[in-house]
Amino acid sequence: MSSRFGVFSSSVGTKILIGVTGVALFLYLVIHIAGNLIVFLGPAAFNRYAFVMEYGNPLLPVIEIGLLLIFLLHVYKAVTMFLANQQARPVAYVKKKYAGKPSRKSFASSTMIFSGLWLLFFIIIHVKAFRFSPEYPWPAGGRDLYRQEMENFVSPLTAGFYVLSMVVVGSHLWHGIASAFQSMGADHPKWTPRLLTTGKVIAVLMAGGFIVIALWAHFVGART
Amino acid sequence: MRLKLKIWRQAGPGTAGRLVDYAADHVSPDMSFLEMLDVVNEGLVKQGHDAIAFDSDCREGICGMCGLVVNGIPHGPDRGTTVCQLHMRRFRDGDTIVIEPWRARAFPVVKDLVVDRSALDRIITAGGYVSVNCGGAPDGNAIPIAKEVSETAMDSAACIGCGACVAACKNASAHLFMSAKISHLSLLPQGQIERYRRVVAMIEQADAEGFGSCSNEGECEAVCPKEIPISNIARMTREYFRALWVGGR
Ligand code: SF4
Ligand code: FES
Repeated sequence: MSSRFGVFSSSVGTKILIGVTGVALFLYLVIHIAGNLIVFLGPAAFNRYAFVMEYGNPLLPVIEIGLLLIFLLHVYKAVTMFLANQQARPVAYVKKKYAGKPSRKSFASSTMIFSGLWLLFFIIIHVKAFRFSPEYPWPAGGRDLYRQEMENFVSPLTAGFYVLSMVVVGSHLWHGIASAFQSMGADHPKWTPRLLTTGKVIAVLMAGGFIVIALWAHFVGART
Repeated sequence: MRLKLKIWRQAGPGTAGRLVDYAADHVSPDMSFLEMLDVVNEGLVKQGHDAIAFDSDCREGICGMCGLVVNGIPHGPDRGTTVCQLHMRRFRDGDTIVIEPWRARAFPVVKDLVVDRSALDRIITAGGYVSVNCGGAPDGNAIPIAKEVSETAMDSAACIGCGACVAACKNASAHLFMSAKISHLSLLPQGQIERYRRVVAMIEQADAEGFGSCSNEGECEAVCPKEIPISNIARMTREYFRALWVGGR
């Protein structure tokens, strides 16, 4: 092996990196949705949560930069892999069909690059709206994130864009959760079939959860 | 049975190919798919036309020489079956069948439906061997190995190197093929000496040949005539991790 670093540019090393960063991003998403659900407890609880996460947290810059790097690595590796894979079959089939079970191919698995790029676009807008926009102060400390969120979801266009993007998140996770483990070499006769199902259930719950929050903010929260 | 065939004709490696229509009018349901093509070819030759080139050898599903994409599925619609073992009773009178070669940058078309699969041989040359002198057959009990392990190794060794996994994969990846060879050898005591060098060398070779990476869709497993599972690909990744840890060559 020429260098331990060059290993990660091989086809298998690339998979490992996309899988590992994918799992890390997924874990972040779990924390994210858990925090977001606090919105249902009202402005005081939600803003208190935001305050603890943002102001009482000396690790915040490290986490933010780490997350950004993980995200960029995931995107970079996935895009370069996609482009290289396109090269691997210069002449397309005239007719190509789904080969049937036990293939795991799905609409979600076939569109990972597109769902991924959509999410890249979404995340830029999303981070701009909640991290780099004017804030309202909250008397008990920190910012009034609750109000910021409700104002964000007033527009049906924004709410619609968020709902659609969360469907895309669900699609990405539908294939991505189990796929990430396979990419890292994790496989077990009993646990892999369970993981395949669990991954899909989590994908639906995750997308569903975010969608409920967005719809609630649009129809209920923003009007009260 | 009467069938309409749309068959890929291509004069040589660099040239453009196209689907050409043929009629197969006297097809018996008992024929194998390749026998059906033989009959079509006899007719073509009688009329003074060039026969359709396709590969085959054993015609009993064990050599890995045959390989056609039939109606969009490598080796055709039957699971765990090479195209030489596919029979015409699987089709219905009047069906249209599209027949294409394996398509991958690493598998250039030689002529019509014949592709050059020597890239797979070069992957084997890179690491798919054991350098211990095996000598005569050892006593069965002299090599300690658990039954499940030897069976998993044997199941992986069943790979006939046909390349259908590459043909089915949207990335034209050879990961299933490599993982079968790597699993087979890394699970057995005889394969331990080159264990770490092997996985790195075979992966490097496959990448250099222009095969793609793996998206974990498992189309390969579904078309593999030997039903090699993609759990082997996960094992290959673990072997790669180990090689990385140990430091390789
Ligand atoms: S893994 Fe299966 S499909 Fe791939 S070369 Fe081996 S036998 Fe053929
Ligand atoms: S011709 Fe040998 S496997 Fe089909």
